[in-house]
Formats: sequence, structure tokens, C-alpha cells
Amino acid sequence: MPRWLRDTRVIVGLSILFAVLVLALLAPLLVQSAPDEQDLLSTLLPSAWAKGGDVAHRLGTDSLGRDVLARLLYGTRLALSVAAIAAPGAMILGTIAALLAGYFGGWVDWVIGRAVDVWMSFPPVILSLILMVGLGTGSRNVILAIVLVDWTRFCRVLRAEVLVVVRRDYVTAARLVGFSHLRVVLREVLPAVVPLLVTLLTLEMGIAVVVEAILAFVGLGVKPDEIAWGQMIADGRATIYQAPINLLAPVAAIFVTVAGFNLLGDGLRRTLDLRLVEGRG
Amino acid sequence: MLAAFLRRLLAVAPILALVSLLLFGALRLLPIDPAAMSMPPTATKVEIEAARQAMGLDRPVTVQYAIWLGQTLRGDFGNSIHMRRPVAGLLAETLPATIELSLAAMVIAGLLGLGGGLGMFALRDRRGEAVAETVTTLMMSLPEFLWALLLIFVFGVLLSALPFTGRLDPGMTRPVVTQFLLLDTLLVGRVDVFFSAVRHMILPAFALGVAFAPPIMRVLRASLIDTYQEDYIRQARLRGVGETRILLGHALQNAILPTLTLMGVQFGFLFGGSLLVEVIYSYPGMGNLMVDAVRNADLPIIQAVGLTYCVVVLAITAGVDGLVMLLNPRLRGT
Repeated sequence: MPRWLRDTRVIVGLSILFAVLVLALLAPLLVQSAPDEQDLLSTLLPSAWAKGGDVAHRLGTDSLGRDVLARLLYGTRLALSVAAIAAPGAMILGTIAALLAGYFGGWVDWVIGRAVDVWMSFPPVILSLILMVGLGTGSRNVILAIVLVDWTRFCRVLRAEVLVVVRRDYVTAARLVGFSHLRVVLREVLPAVVPLLVTLLTLEMGIAVVVEAILAFVGLGVKPDEIAWGQMIADGRATIYQAPINLLAPVAAIFVTVAGFNLLGDGLRRTLDLRLVEGRG
Repeated sequence: MLAAFLRRLLAVAPILALVSLLLFGALRLLPIDPAAMSMPPTATKVEIEAARQAMGLDRPVTVQYAIWLGQTLRGDFGNSIHMRRPVAGLLAETLPATIELSLAAMVIAGLLGLGGGLGMFALRDRRGEAVAETVTTLMMSLPEFLWALLLIFVFGVLLSALPFTGRLDPGMTRPVVTQFLLLDTLLVGRVDVFFSAVRHMILPAFALGVAFAPPIMRVLRASLIDTYQEDYIRQARLRGVGETRILLGHALQNAILPTLTLMGVQFGFLFGGSLLVEVIYSYPGMGNLMVDAVRNADLPIIQAVGLTYCVVVLAITAGVDGLVMLLNPRLRGT
């Protein structure tokens, strides 16, 4: 077994994520009600084990009589898809920029460095809000906004690493042999930074889940007919006194999912022995 | 030293110019006609066209940017389309509130971060170490807006211990001297209003502070471990200096420098994160202004508030860099 698979954090993180993924995939089998099926006669039901609860709605219903568990499970699908597409997208954009900057140096490095400076002077929340104003709502635009905001997270950390790698003898040797730039970058430089990339990607997937929830919470994320945890939180906030489970269930779901990604990322960082810049936002 | 600091400030100017270009460009691409939106719905086509000309919207985009930049530099951010008030006035009312919240949260983040970092360092090589690390990982999985909601649920709803909307108890009028509420209440000697304001700030400031504390804990712990490898620590031990004194008197001085740099970065993120906390606590700051403007597509506000966030973040970064230079003798005189 590889070393990283023996780390407790990696095992726990992977198990959590696997469980979340299974719940998302099996959502139609686990709950009978559709997530957008309204029942105005049984609104704000408590969870099934509480007094007055209904077994048909295990986590109760929201203010429109929709099943909370069903919405939670279907929301998982959106959260995981956004994470699975947006994080690699940000990784690819950031990695290309970092490889260009670190490998070629000179004015290319200068231009990319200034672009990162400009991006970093925006708080991420503000930048994604402004982008969403321009792009309009919808899950595709949420993904695009995350990619356009978070590529700098990869670029900053990776550029420093690439700078170290390109000075190594084997890279110089590959260039002396006369390999093309593309081949040197893809076959010699990129493999050396893959462990770092994997760790960053895992952490970024957690960030993507949070950003998707934030945008949906503010009302600028997905379209109203899409089921999102952030939307559930916004609705649940209004009924915090009558049915707090409407708020607590999606909060717990976000926490568990993000903790899964963070535990996995932390374990990978430790076992792959990387010096990662601390920081979040 | 001063020259180096000034050079840093000069380096910020082109970044700001690019930021303003980006903001203007991104929002100019929107299919929204600011002229039509600034007029009442009953306005005729001719009136809207006149407004377009008055606003310079019929001129080339480069000229529009020059006009906008010129006005912005003079402190004229235009009028809010939705609220029909000068944006500069709205900013003057909301920015101080956001600064107060962010500063209070940063103090909490700093205290929790430094305390937690020292605590985690004390646990090194013991069984509690792994537990403490897992706890920080889990804490980092709760972003500020989830903390904000959980604190409302526990302290606002379950315990009814603290207020969680607005800045003052209903019925209280806020004194206005400097727009900084905490300062103003003290300046006019209204201690009761001051305490009401403080009580209203506890939950939002704590939600924001606790969310940004874990990275500070980790960096302080890591840099303390690095510092303890140095010879001067061993020599202090050989001289018979007590462990507590070595930690607080010798090691912390050096280990605090990387922590301070990180705290500067965290402060920038925290300032941006205040937006969500403000929305959740109906706190009348820049974040709420921004979210309302975004919902109403109120371009002048979005541009001005976006720019203000950037200016503050850049100022924080430059300020922290200057502070680290002051505190680190190796960087002085460069």
C-alpha cells in the first residue's frame, strides 16, 4: 500500500467523501418524495423522531412542505458536481499560468505575476459576486466564477515550486538534449509538481462546495429550480424558530463534506511531504 | 526604511489602476443601460437619450473610463441607481461599520490564533497533538457564514442570550460624530448605547474571528517549532533560563514574524468575509450595501464598493509588510 493510503486522515477523509458520493447517487432510492414536491398541508413538520413527526419525512418538511431529506440529498449532487468540475478547472488554468511563468520567466512571469497581484487584491467573495452579476445565475456560471476566481490559488503556490524544479539538472539536461519546450514542461517539470497539485485540488474542492453554497445563499448562485444547500440555508433561516432542522441540516451537510475534503487534503499534504502555504478565504 | 515603505506604496498604484480597469470593464460589458435605469419608468426615449448624453454613454468606452476614473479620483462615485443617493455618502455611512466589525473580529482571530498556537505548541510530541491538529482541520471546514448561522442558533435562538440583528436595541438613536458607532457613543458619553452596540457586535465579530483563527494557530505552532531548533534556544536552556521564559521571552519574538505576515493575509480575507456575516446579522455595513446593489444591478455602487474593498485589502497588505519590516531587524535598511 502506498504511504499516503495508510494515513488516518486520508482514510477518514476518503470514507466521508465516498459516503457522501453514494448518498448523492442513491438519492432517488433513499427518499420517496421528489425534492421540489410541495405539500402545503404539511409544512414545517418536525423530524420523524420528534413529536408530531411523519415517517414519510424523516427530517421533516420546509415552509412549502417540501421534504428536507430529499432536498438535502439532491443538493449533494449539485455540490459535488460543482466541486468536481470547478476545482479541476481552476487547477488547469492556474497550472498553465504557473508553468508558463516559472518555465519561461522574464516578461511572461512578470505579466502573470501582476495578474495574480490584481486578482489577489480582490477579496474572493467580492470578486465572485461581481462575476456573477456579469455572468448571470445558473450552475454553469457558478463553476465558471469559481474557476476565474480561484486559479490564483494554484498559480501562486505552483509558480514557486516550478521555479525550483526548472533549475534541477535533469531539466537542464532535457533541454540540452534538444527536447521541445512543450515536452520538457509536460514530461519533466509537470510530474515533479503533481503531488502538490493533488493536495491543492482536494482543498480546492472543499472551497468550491463552500463558494457554491455562499452564492446560492446570497441568491446569486444556481437558478431557483435547482436544489442547492445554500438555498436551503437561506430558506431555513426564516423558519429558525419553528423548524431549526431546515437550517441545521444543510449546515451540517456542508461541514461534513468540506471536512472530508480538508481531512483528505491534510493527510495528503503530510504524507506527500509538501511545504504548502497556509491560508484560506 | 521610510523609502522602502514608500516604494511599496508606489507599487500598489499600478495594481489599483488595473483593478479599476477590470471593474469598469467587467461591469461595462453587462447588458444594462445605466441611463435607462437611472430614470423613472415613465421617462420617454428622448429623455433617456438626453440622460445617456449627459452621462457620456454615447462616447467611446475609453472616454467613458477616463470620465469615470476622473470622477472616482475626486471622490465622486456617482449616484445609486436604485436608492437615488450619492454613492459617496452611502460609502461614508457603511465603511466605518465594516471597519469596526473587521477590527473587532481580527482582535478575536488574533487572540484565538496566538493562544491556540501556543497551546498546540505546548502539546508537541504528546498524544494530544494529533487531536489538536484534527480539531483545527475541522474548524477550517466551518467557513465564517456557517459559524454565523450556528452562533445565531445557539446564542440567539436557543439561549436568547445575545441580540443578532442590527447594531442597536430598537428605540435607541445612534449619535453621529465620526460614523464609527463605538467611538461616537463614547464621544457623546452614552454608555448605555455603547454597551448595546458592543452586545450586538459579539456574535458577528466572534463568528468572523473564530473562522479565521485556525491558520494563525498552525503557522505560529510551525514557526515556534522551527525557532526551537536554533542554537540560541539551547544556549538559553544551558544558562538555566526557565521554559516559560524561553518560550515567551526568547522564541516568541522570532516566531511571531511569519505569524504576523500571515495575519496580514488573513485580515485581508477576513475583511472580504465580513460581507456574508453582515448579511446574516443584518449589520448595516458595506457588505449589505454590496449584496443589495448586486441584487438590484446597481452598477455605481458595485463599482465603488468593489474598489473600496480592494483599496482596503491593499492598504492592509502594505501596512502589515511595513510592520514586519519594522519588527524584523534583518529587513531594516534594505
